[in-house]
Amino acid sequence: MKLEKEQLITLYRHMVRVRKLDETITHALYTGTLPGFYHPQIGQEAVGVGACSFLRKDDYLFYTHRGHGIGKVLPKGVEPRRILAEHYGRASGCCGGLSGFHTADMSLGIPGISGTIGPEFVLSAGFGYAAKMRGQGQIVMCIQGEGATGRGTFHEGMLMSANWKLPVVWVIENNLYMVTTPVSELYPKENFADLAFGYGIPSEIVDGQDVLCVYEAVQKAIDRARAGDGPSLIECKTYRIPPHALGLPDIKTAKPRPQDEIEPWKKRDPILLFGEKLLREGILTEVFIDQIDREATAEMEEANRFAMASPNPSPEILDTALYAA
Amino acid sequence: MARRLSYMRAINEALAQEMERDPKVVAIGIDVRQSPFGQTVGLVDKFGRDRVIDTPICEEVFTTAAMGMAMTGMRPVVELLHSEFTYIPMNPLGVEAAQQHYVTGGKVKFPLTAYTLVGTFGGLPASHSQSPESSFMPFPGLKIIVPSTPYDAKGLLISAIRDDNLTMCFFHKLLLRMEDEVPEEEYTVPLGKAATRREGKHVTVVATLLMVHKALKAAELLSQEGIEIEVIDVRSLAPLDEETILESIRKTGRVVTVEESRLRCGVGAEISAIVAEKAFDYLDGPPQRVAAPMLPVGGSPIYKESYVPNERDIVAAVKRAMD
Repeated sequence: MKLEKEQLITLYRHMVRVRKLDETITHALYTGTLPGFYHPQIGQEAVGVGACSFLRKDDYLFYTHRGHGIGKVLPKGVEPRRILAEHYGRASGCCGGLSGFHTADMSLGIPGISGTIGPEFVLSAGFGYAAKMRGQGQIVMCIQGEGATGRGTFHEGMLMSANWKLPVVWVIENNLYMVTTPVSELYPKENFADLAFGYGIPSEIVDGQDVLCVYEAVQKAIDRARAGDGPSLIECKTYRIPPHALGLPDIKTAKPRPQDEIEPWKKRDPILLFGEKLLREGILTEVFIDQIDREATAEMEEANRFAMASPNPSPEILDTALYAA
Repeated sequence: MARRLSYMRAINEALAQEMERDPKVVAIGIDVRQSPFGQTVGLVDKFGRDRVIDTPICEEVFTTAAMGMAMTGMRPVVELLHSEFTYIPMNPLGVEAAQQHYVTGGKVKFPLTAYTLVGTFGGLPASHSQSPESSFMPFPGLKIIVPSTPYDAKGLLISAIRDDNLTMCFFHKLLLRMEDEVPEEEYTVPLGKAATRREGKHVTVVATLLMVHKALKAAELLSQEGIEIEVIDVRSLAPLDEETILESIRKTGRVVTVEESRLRCGVGAEISAIVAEKAFDYLDGPPQRVAAPMLPVGGSPIYKESYVPNERDIVAAVKRAMD
């Protein structure tokens, strides 16, 4: 399970791509070219990239609303141009422009998300059951925020997956905030990984800013799931640096978080940390880092041009879009 | 000049005044201490954390917990931030809280208020933009308010909190910043009483929430053509003020309903049926409904034009009614 040089670079490259896509969406929103709103994810790239970069194409993936899933779906193989086009409501978007901001692509095992937080836990059990019956070693990667575990579906999903030994990997992305409320005010204990214990599900807590730590823990869980040994839970400790959402009504009444809480997390930026590590180990050079940066910037610029130039869906599709034929 | 207040601040003031007046009133929901949309802003500073209760993301659970509080005599006000979140506790609200007073022979009461924000806003798509108020109309035992002005938002919410039954309050996102005259003192607006916002003799237009304002704009346009519509703001969907609506129709002989809920089984369907049953002889033509189409709210610009009813749709429906 030790990663080759190329795979390490892949992890780094994906994190940079996710960051650039996040910045592209945010910029488009602020300059008024993009309608709607966005839940920024800057600083949390290591979780999705560590968990999803080496999934099989036929593995299933559930992602969270944070970053509208870009940290997860980009490393799984969704093209940024199709994500952006969906945000612009264009026909070339991954949902034909009808969803607003969702990414769904069943050819990549990505069924999209719910707007009400939490169904994914039990949907994953359903997907896991189907994968188990199919018997081809597929797994379900279910990444949810710590706030989602307040739902009963979390516990119900744990129970079903443990009882039926389903090939599900639960990843809890703990960014310490549920909208504006610190998680410490809402949960009696600090670690969500502990919740797995009661269901007999092995769990691990990792540094969510360290992409390699995330990868290694998740890969062990994936191996267990593929081998038919049932679910595992990985809790990734991270931090939400940006606000909960951008582009919502201009009625901001929430108090800002203290700057001395945010600053230390900014220093633990996952791209910075991993870049320094790869430099130290001689896997990357400054020149190569620059090149990766420029390539990702160019990719997102091209994707943005493509999305903006794409036509809107034709109004006629409203006649046929509601029911499956 | 009387003091002006936004719809959002009017909601906030109603909550603050009721919490001040009655220590049994508590606010509970996701993020109610910080209040990103502002309805509960400042309450935690005034009334403390015991009475302004942040919860995990679990609408069905904290709503049911609030029901438990209500059954003991507390008066919880539950915030369900986006309108779709009302579907999550639909069983505890619609089946349990609404009916339990009846099925226990009056042994228990549910002085419970639940509110949410409805309506499309900016690019919020299918799961944060619906207008589910009509979905709650079939539950017996439930009261439903749909205030369209800051004055009504405050007065109706105070009535809801003081009422011994479950009241669902559907506020509109796009009205949050609307300002109007709102008295500083406490006052109530009675549940179950419609308001005539404009008098007219040709067509009765019955509207809810944001659509009241669009109907009033349509009235201006129609007036230039010599058509005078009477605009009735329903204000409460349950109980429904049938008499105000029927009385207007006896005068005009024509009715158009306007809502942002979907067409099928919507507010307009119910009102049209009541009108057909009770005022058929007065009608000069079939009722006309203006409502959202039977589609999810989408993210694409093609929806922006077609999903939410506008003044032109209302003008067209009035003209159909007069055909």
